[in-house]
Amino acid sequence: MRFDIDSYREIADSLVRNRSRSLLTGFGVFWGIFMLLFLMGGGQGLKQIISANFTGFATNTSVMIADRTTKPWGGYKQGRRWNMTYTDVARLKIMMPELETVTPLVSNWGQEAVNGTNTVSANVKGVYADYSNIEEPIIKYGRYLNESDILHERKVCVIGKRIYTSLFPDGGDPCGSLIKVGPVYYRVVGVDYNSGNMTINGSADESVVIPLPIAQKVYQRGNNIDLLCMTGHNGVKMSSLEGRMRSIMAREHNFDPQDKDALFVINTEQLFAIIDNLFTGLSFLIWLVGLGTILAGIIGVSNIMMVTVKERTTEIGIRRAIGATPRDILSQIIMESISLTLVAGSFGIVFAVLLLSLMEKIVGSMLTDVPVTPNFQIGFWTAVVAAALLTLLGVVAGLAPASRAMAIKPVDAMRDE
Amino acid sequence: MLIELKDVNKTYNNGQPLHVLKGINLSIDSGEFVSIMGASGSGKSTLLNILGILDNYDTGEYYIDGRLIKGLSERQAADYRNRMIGFIFQSFNLIGFKTAVENVELPLFYQGVSRSKRHALAMQYLDKLGLADWAGHYPNEMSGGQKQRVAIARALITQPKILLADEPTGALDSKTSEEVMQLLGQLNREDKVTIIVVTHESGVANCTNKIVHIKDGIIGQIEDNREHSASAFGINTTMK
Repeated sequence: MRFDIDSYREIADSLVRNRSRSLLTGFGVFWGIFMLLFLMGGGQGLKQIISANFTGFATNTSVMIADRTTKPWGGYKQGRRWNMTYTDVARLKIMMPELETVTPLVSNWGQEAVNGTNTVSANVKGVYADYSNIEEPIIKYGRYLNESDILHERKVCVIGKRIYTSLFPDGGDPCGSLIKVGPVYYRVVGVDYNSGNMTINGSADESVVIPLPIAQKVYQRGNNIDLLCMTGHNGVKMSSLEGRMRSIMAREHNFDPQDKDALFVINTEQLFAIIDNLFTGLSFLIWLVGLGTILAGIIGVSNIMMVTVKERTTEIGIRRAIGATPRDILSQIIMESISLTLVAGSFGIVFAVLLLSLMEKIVGSMLTDVPVTPNFQIGFWTAVVAAALLTLLGVVAGLAPASRAMAIKPVDAMRDE
Repeated sequence: MLIELKDVNKTYNNGQPLHVLKGINLSIDSGEFVSIMGASGSGKSTLLNILGILDNYDTGEYYIDGRLIKGLSERQAADYRNRMIGFIFQSFNLIGFKTAVENVELPLFYQGVSRSKRHALAMQYLDKLGLADWAGHYPNEMSGGQKQRVAIARALITQPKILLADEPTGALDSKTSEEVMQLLGQLNREDKVTIIVVTHESGVANCTNKIVHIKDGIIGQIEDNREHSASAFGINTTMK
């Protein structure tokens, strides 16, 4: 193959000669690569936005909720109400050493929180200190509840972001202030800025978290608890423990261990798996659409090169007559095909990058309440791989036309008179 | 002998087998100015294609400068065409989107000659044929005679052993035809270029020094025409 400036000029010439045709053909490739990269970047950003909703939430958490029984058992009728109690915490901890944290939750919805003239509606959550293993707080001011708060039954609270901004519109560190929630005054010891959307019994945003013994007494809950939250030790699959949890609870509270409805168990691991699957499906779709579009573009290139070869039969014949080898012709056609693909594709890459960075700016400024700024931009190496892919596809597109061009005999130049 | 054909046979097998060349024996010496004359269907185009290594023959032997031309690969054939043979076609066959000088450069491009060198050489040949001012023009901006001269420059630039002209005046008027034939004669006389012209016009053939008549795939009479008296229209004329 012989190449110098003239070869490149010739390629440029022949592409420019059929300007509108090259443009239209190139557009297919341009659009294909643009779609692929843009969708990839968009999908990645979307995933980050959605994942941001789970920040601060342990991924191997189970939550248990008591419900009416649906099967008769041990002399009891079906449809009986029952409650989980305090003692279940210790029971599960002892009988299931795989569990790292077992922590109860008592909540009361729709309480009014008051500070001076500012009021806001709040969920009160009564928890133990180790509840922070389940919903990890992002402490802006002060601290989270500690063991001592629980032990001494201090009337203290940790408030969520919305409660804080509503009750303390002037900002500043609220720790030490007293706020009234429901009938009782609590001292604020911390502000939790966690605003993930994965929550248990109300968003952390709108919650006032108080020691569980206080909640029991204030709201007259006795020994009953609303929820039991559990996390496993590293490497423990929470879904595999579900059967044993059920049988332990069923024996204690006299319901059929087969009665799935009596005890509602949610594994976040399963939820995460569903979301993961969703994104796997989404990226599969992105690849399918993107590659499909590129492929359509490439077939267009191949088609046009076919037409070009047909049009240039005489010219190719002349070239062969005056000494071009089949390889010279092959490289000429393939190079033209690569050039068309690569030039159009580069525009596609650049356009996708520009649009993604624009989107990053716009979405970044819109999503102020999400703790992370989503990253829509594709990576540098993705772009390099895309360019390499384009080159390869250019070769592929040129193969059929080039083989047809190589079949042209020099005699054809003279026959075509 | 520069060119030697020994009992060359060629049959086309497109449906009905067609025996086009039936044992051609021909020798052409270096520096000769020969025309091959025959009616259409006589096999003269096929002979030209074989002489130009554009086509294969079935049996026999073809030597250029003592080198057997047979069973060449496409690559070798292209190389031989490039270095040993210059073509002049009836319809000029210039590449339309290239300027005159770019057209003349092309054979050197395929030889791998550097850009500046081939450009200088192409300008030199265009100048020789009186077309230096037209170097930057495209073929469709030139007259038939000019185009054919560009084609001749392109054929000469590799300094081939043989110049093959296929009906070089076929698309020209009588005046330009005469100019082109005189140019070829001049090249033959002054630069000792071996020229083979294929034609069916007796006037054109009359300009050459030797006329080979071909009929039904067999070489007939070989006329010595150094007196240029073969034309029915008289000496020194290319009248059609």
